[in-house]
Amino acid sequence: MENNKNFKTRLEIEKNKLSKDSGEKDENNSGFFMGNAFKLGTEMVSAVLVGTIIGFILDSWFGTKPWLIIFFFFVGAAAGILNVIRAAKKMQQK
Amino acid sequence: MATNPMHQFNVRKIGPEINLGGVDLSFTNSSLFMLISAAAICIFLFLGTKEKKIIPSKIQLLAEISYNFVAKMISDTAGTKAKPYFPFIFSLFMFVLLCNMVGMLPYSFTVTSHIIVTLVMALFIFLSVTVIGFLKHGFKYLSIFVPKGVPIVLLPLITIIEIISYLSRPVSLSVRLFANMMAGHTMLKVFGGFVISLGIVGGWLPLTFSVALTGLEILVAFLQAYVFAILTCIYLNDALNLHH
Repeated sequence: MENNKNFKTRLEIEKNKLSKDSGEKDENNSGFFMGNAFKLGTEMVSAVLVGTIIGFILDSWFGTKPWLIIFFFFVGAAAGILNVIRAAKKMQQK
Repeated sequence: MATNPMHQFNVRKIGPEINLGGVDLSFTNSSLFMLISAAAICIFLFLGTKEKKIIPSKIQLLAEISYNFVAKMISDTAGTKAKPYFPFIFSLFMFVLLCNMVGMLPYSFTVTSHIIVTLVMALFIFLSVTVIGFLKHGFKYLSIFVPKGVPIVLLPLITIIEIISYLSRPVSLSVRLFANMMAGHTMLKVFGGFVISLGIVGGWLPLTFSVALTGLEILVAFLQAYVFAILTCIYLNDALNLHH
């Protein structure tokens, strides 16, 4: 019983703490910037990759080599830029 | 010991070969280190929650900090609606973190430096988030591919772009974790090799670099687990709250 009571008090303390610091954020951690930079890079590359793969698959389905792969490469690049802009906007909001 | 920096990523079989219907299910060093990470999480959380004191012991404090960290991350990025998914994100975060950290120990194997491991996790997240989106919103979930306020002429092109952007999520999620871990560990090994080949005279400089890189790698190990979990929260947020 003693254990249970202790647990409830501890839970109260932590809950108070959690609701208190939800307003403020600590941003002076340089590590997070590095993570963010790498995030933007992979965001761009992966969209181009996915676009090219889709183009390749559709090309071999319809036998229209190489037009769809060229088209989807550029569409993938556009999607990558869109991804990067979205990620950057999210970072600015914080 | 091999001086080849890629040798550390070899997957070796441990024990007998198990073959089920043409699928190789042998126990490997990769599975061993996954088990070690999972067991370490269980032991850590068991010890951390065994004694519930008002003034917490060190391990209880650690368990509480990790809980609070993930809880705060979810409520900041995905709001209160994502509370039911806390167990999933918490286990995901702890597993990736422990796999990365166990990989930093000498002679160990880094599970997350293999793309197949990270890709399976990312694909599972991607599929479950998509299923959650369809369950919550039905076919209205497809409206995330059609942004508002776009001229009708551009709409087909924009929709294709949005679909590719959506499909690129699991790729970027898995490649990021895999590339970071693999690049870091290869670099550590290369600098370690320099120390041996330059000997007692010139080996001090790469040794200094090795020590610094080890610190950096521990930071990266934590950071990538954090990024993996926070992106899961962001994707979950998109599925739960439909607005762009």
